[in-house]
Amino acid sequence: MISDEVKAQMRAIAARYPQPRSAMLPCLHLAQQTEGYITPEGAQAVAQAVGARVDEVESVVSFYSMYTTKPLGAQVIKVCTSVSCYLRGSDALLARLEERLGVKKGQTASDGRFTLDMIECLAACGMAPVLQVNGEFVENVTPERADALLDRLERGEGVGDMGSRWRLTEQGGFTTAGSTTSASGDSGEPAKENS
Amino acid sequence: MAEQQELVNLTIDGRPVRAPKGAVIWAAAQQLGIEVPIYCYHPRMDPLGACRMCFVEVKGMPKLATACTTTVSEGMEVWTDTPKVKKGRQGTLEFLLINHPLDCPICDKGGECDLQDFTLRHGPGDSRFDVRKRHFPKPIPVSENILLDRERCIACQRCVRFCQDVAMEDGLVMKERGFKTEVGVEENAPFDSIFSGNVVEMCPVGALTAKNYRFVTRPWELRRTATVCGNCAVGCNVRLDVRVNKALRQYSRPNDAVDDGWLCDRGRWELDTLNSSKRLTTPLLRKNGELVPVSWDEALGVVASTLRQVISTHGAQALGGIGSTHTTNEESYLFQKLLRSLGTNNIDHYHGVFSQTGSDGVPWVWTGSLAGLEKASHIALLGADAYHRQPVLDLLIRKAIRKGAQVYVVTPEPNRLDRLATGAIRYAARQTGAVARALLGVTLAEGLTRGDYATAHAEELADWRKANGSVEDAARAAEVESEALRALAREIAGAQGAVILYDEMATREPTGATLAADTLMLAQLTDNIGRPGAGVGPLFEDNNSLGARDMGLLPDTLPGYQPVANEASRQALGAAWGAQLSSETGRDYDVMLSGVRALFVLGADPARHATPEQLARLEKLDALIVQDLFLTETAKRATVVLPGLSYGEKDGTFTNLDRRIQVVRKGMTELPGARADWEILTTLARMLGLAWAYLSPADILREIGRVAPIYAGVTRRALGETGLQWPLRAGEIGADGRKIIVGSETVTWPLAETAQAESDAGVAVAASGEE
Amino acid sequence: MTINAPNTPETQSLPLGPYPRIVTHAFDVPNIDQLEVYRAHGGYEALAKALRDFQPEALAEEVKASGLRGRGGAGFATGVKWGFLPKESARPRYLCVNADESEPGTFKDRMIMEVSPHQVVEGTILAAYATRVRHAFIYIRGELPRAYQQVERAVREAYEAGLLGKNILGSGYDLEITVHPGAGAYICGEESALLESLEGKRGYPRLKPPFPALVGLYGGPTVINNLETVASLPAIVRLGAATYAQYGTEKSKGTRVYCLSGHVERPGNYELPLGTPLRTLIEDFGGGVWQGKKLKAIIPGGSSTNFLTPDQIDTPLDFESILAAGSMLGSAGVVVLDEDTCIVGAVLRMTEFYRDESCGKCTPCREGTYWLVQLLERLEEGHGKESDIDLLNDICDNIAGKSFCPLGDAATSSIVSSIRLWRDEYIHHVRAHACLVGPGANRKRDAAAV
Repeated sequence: MISDEVKAQMRAIAARYPQPRSAMLPCLHLAQQTEGYITPEGAQAVAQAVGARVDEVESVVSFYSMYTTKPLGAQVIKVCTSVSCYLRGSDALLARLEERLGVKKGQTASDGRFTLDMIECLAACGMAPVLQVNGEFVENVTPERADALLDRLERGEGVGDMGSRWRLTEQGGFTTAGSTTSASGDSGEPAKENS
Repeated sequence: MAEQQELVNLTIDGRPVRAPKGAVIWAAAQQLGIEVPIYCYHPRMDPLGACRMCFVEVKGMPKLATACTTTVSEGMEVWTDTPKVKKGRQGTLEFLLINHPLDCPICDKGGECDLQDFTLRHGPGDSRFDVRKRHFPKPIPVSENILLDRERCIACQRCVRFCQDVAMEDGLVMKERGFKTEVGVEENAPFDSIFSGNVVEMCPVGALTAKNYRFVTRPWELRRTATVCGNCAVGCNVRLDVRVNKALRQYSRPNDAVDDGWLCDRGRWELDTLNSSKRLTTPLLRKNGELVPVSWDEALGVVASTLRQVISTHGAQALGGIGSTHTTNEESYLFQKLLRSLGTNNIDHYHGVFSQTGSDGVPWVWTGSLAGLEKASHIALLGADAYHRQPVLDLLIRKAIRKGAQVYVVTPEPNRLDRLATGAIRYAARQTGAVARALLGVTLAEGLTRGDYATAHAEELADWRKANGSVEDAARAAEVESEALRALAREIAGAQGAVILYDEMATREPTGATLAADTLMLAQLTDNIGRPGAGVGPLFEDNNSLGARDMGLLPDTLPGYQPVANEASRQALGAAWGAQLSSETGRDYDVMLSGVRALFVLGADPARHATPEQLARLEKLDALIVQDLFLTETAKRATVVLPGLSYGEKDGTFTNLDRRIQVVRKGMTELPGARADWEILTTLARMLGLAWAYLSPADILREIGRVAPIYAGVTRRALGETGLQWPLRAGEIGADGRKIIVGSETVTWPLAETAQAESDAGVAVAASGEE
Repeated sequence: MTINAPNTPETQSLPLGPYPRIVTHAFDVPNIDQLEVYRAHGGYEALAKALRDFQPEALAEEVKASGLRGRGGAGFATGVKWGFLPKESARPRYLCVNADESEPGTFKDRMIMEVSPHQVVEGTILAAYATRVRHAFIYIRGELPRAYQQVERAVREAYEAGLLGKNILGSGYDLEITVHPGAGAYICGEESALLESLEGKRGYPRLKPPFPALVGLYGGPTVINNLETVASLPAIVRLGAATYAQYGTEKSKGTRVYCLSGHVERPGNYELPLGTPLRTLIEDFGGGVWQGKKLKAIIPGGSSTNFLTPDQIDTPLDFESILAAGSMLGSAGVVVLDEDTCIVGAVLRMTEFYRDESCGKCTPCREGTYWLVQLLERLEEGHGKESDIDLLNDICDNIAGKSFCPLGDAATSSIVSSIRLWRDEYIHHVRAHACLVGPGANRKRDAAAV
């Protein structure tokens, strides 16, 4: 359900733009966050908030890959399969996840806990292969790390310290590789390797 | 008059052409008759550049250019037939065909399909595609009348752009993206539009088809006739498509001055008057209380003798005629000519209340034009529901909105335009006149006047204020928010150009008698008249409502708004007709319904509007002669019924709501047994001893051109493909009266005689060599 | 640092040393994403300096003098691009920062946003000030929620600190910044599609002309700059254009953040002066091809650019040199392929991306990529025909230069260049029904399945 409060939030987002229609995408994100997917009610609320017609809203929804009009699992795992991840084993990773979760890409497990899907290049090519769990990055996902990750997720522990952290390498480059050992907290700042 | 356009010189395939600056190459090629194939481009919509079909080479451009998006420039050198162009077009066609089902043998578009035609003329001949085509279930309904076959769709977005950009309503949208792209409707936004058929016509392939046309014919079996739609007062130009004497559809025949190339679904598909099996196919005569089929000779003999007898027994004033808002000008003209020649002015039709009709010979018309709407900064609709009554006018209002016009919808009921309107003002039913009075009251009370009209008419205005109560009273009567009206009045007064339109029939409401005069005064006071983008007037509903008035289907007005009371006009007309015309103003519609002995009804159904007393009276008439397509409620009560023909079966002219006289052409064989109204009237006149010798509607029109000043010089030839708007000549004529826009200039009513004579001469020259 | 810079008089005399981190200046500082830390390390000093010492036009001149070129892909000179905005306009003018990073092989903008969001804000203000813009938008790819949160927070903090909003730092200059999330569409990285998307529509590219500089967002004059471009501005202003311009080559000045990925030992983002040879990036910084394997191919500028071969490894990484070598520097996403990579498989994967990300507006890209993928699939699976190879080339010819926007062209790069370079591999797939190299080489496909 889209509460009055969420509707008010949508109007507030619309007010940030010179033209309310510009708030289409952020309001749809909000609708999807609120209900798990874009429902007819959600589309209607967005249409009202941004001053568009419902058919316009729904046409926009189907253009962008992040929106879904079907309910998804509680944990949505999206594996990047674009070229850099492909070169470093994303297909094997996807296969491993399919096997463990018992679903094919694009499907949601019958218990509703997981949805597995592929996604286009996630701008994390230096730490390939990568995946996202509900938008949170996990990088360098070797099959072993995939297993460890699923174990955590199945225990309901979330991504935790398997999430990515930037750090400066000895060579003066930046990567999140090997970030499981990074001690940094939740902020985005990098930690120095071997510092 | 066309605005001065700057022209540039270029060559296409080595041939020089001058094209307007800003025009796209495609249009310049059209001028030369060079075909540049297009799919996504549509001359009535913004260029999209998506289909990549219209490739041309332009000297100095390294890549192929798209002719639909590249504008012409001085000295440009364009080539449409080089190997590079051919390869580009072949490539695009090959791409378009990889997912196209090639089910032409069962596709309704076959034979008029741009994909078929262009593939033949520009395509690669065969395909190298030997992998998997996309498949979809086919077809799926997208609206009540339209089916979508997604496999055939080439994603040109014409239909979607029409719905989104032109109609500006829920309808077809693009869904998904990339190779999964499809057109469709959203579940919660049904495609329920009176303009929906346009997408079928625009679809360059067979993706969108009309339910009622599917599998009915092949395009090459159609007989196509350029004519004018008979469904409403807009008068959209159409092509009537007929197969084996059944009208299957009307397609648009773009006329910028009228329809902007669009058509509504009523016009496109509601062709019942042409096709119905309920049409009358034989004259009927009441014998022993029953209407029974008789021969034409017998029926007309009875009519003639009845008319003669009524006149000889009770005098010509015992005879009355109710004419039609549907018949052609020629027929309406003959109808009143017949009655007037028989000695009576008892002639009328069902129309709005225009207080001054006849008294000054001034026509009550919209002083602006359809094409001028887009120049308006403000449009106020009073009691008017254009979407349902004059659909394409509603579409033109939407165009004006896109160009920045603010629209105020002042109606008792919610209106389809509300969502796009700046203001939607509601009031109690049948109170349009009170609303207009309140608007005028605000304008006067707040001194929102412009120009010198107020000072020049100070006395008249003072009288008006004395005669009318306060703004608040009027607003209360109309149950309307007076603040909203005040705001609107201020907008109108400050408008760069305001167009104020009201429904003709709103003048018949209890408060409507002053509606026409009050809105006119409102426009005059605020200087919203007599210039492009401004104006005021009634919106007529029927295809020839205005023509009926023009032709003198009025008790006090001769053809061309010459007052019956004007002796000179009467004399001149009488002389032309070889008849003695009565100087007595005739009885009007309502009076006739209760005060004549014999009533001749042509193409009207007064029984529908009649009071119980009038209805009882109709049944007791000495004679009720009804000429119609159907056995109407009135016809059921007739003594004689004469079957007429629809506009699809005869020639003639209609005059639309912005005074455009347009040619109607016969597109199908006459229904056996029925006759054109002009033929019936001519035969009857001759039986009554009148020397009528018309061989065709063109003859009648020529006569109209001679006797009705506003139609001076009008002939079929002069009307051409796009018609003419009266008055035919621009210029400031006369001192006091209503200003009318002609082209981009203003004329003022009434036309002075001298200027009119010049006008005659001018048009006569243009029309010489008439058929 | 373990990298030995080339020991030449030129490099040794550079003011900040041979391999300075200019854009990624303080990226190793803990909590640099916090306003006070960022300020403690010189943050917002450039802004103060610009507002104090430069009129907008002078700032634009300074950026022009720095030689900074767009970091999104096309490499157009930033200061010159700003100059395309009309001096006067009836409608408001806008700046859009393009952070819709999604070119396969590219991951620099995400890092900049996640690590140093205030630098993004500061750079945006500088760009807006130079172009006399009063409302700027930062369009961040929807799949990067952390980047969005970081930048959004930084903007909020900047408002609270008087660095945004009315009368910034008492200069009289007002600016609003709206951070905008995308929703999953590569095409929205194309500047006009980005504008459509920002206006709440499907991300279809717009017809040009009119160009955004004249008719852009909401019909107003609009400048669109890549995020790294904008993030480079604080350092340029702080160090001075002259210092910045000492790095790089004659026509490609400054540094770039090179995104190194694929089959290398140490993938990651490396900020290096433009003109640094590919070999230095791959071997010295990246540790060379992984697992001791040989190099097979390099994609130098994201998956939209042509392949380079091992013999071209000494090509300097600057716009002109890479162009001369037959490819493009693009987004500086350098992807390394080792000797065991099946080129047909890799190209198929890249082509699938363009098929899925094509917006579908124009025929060649929509239908062509669909067809290309099917042909590549059947070749990769060993069911292809030899004529498919030339057909692929001809389809590419019917797409490239004929599509509505550059996405179509981009889709053809890997195919055309790989057929040119490794036609034998394609032919091998047809004749042997198997890959020439890699795991697929041992997995002979069943020809009867054709």
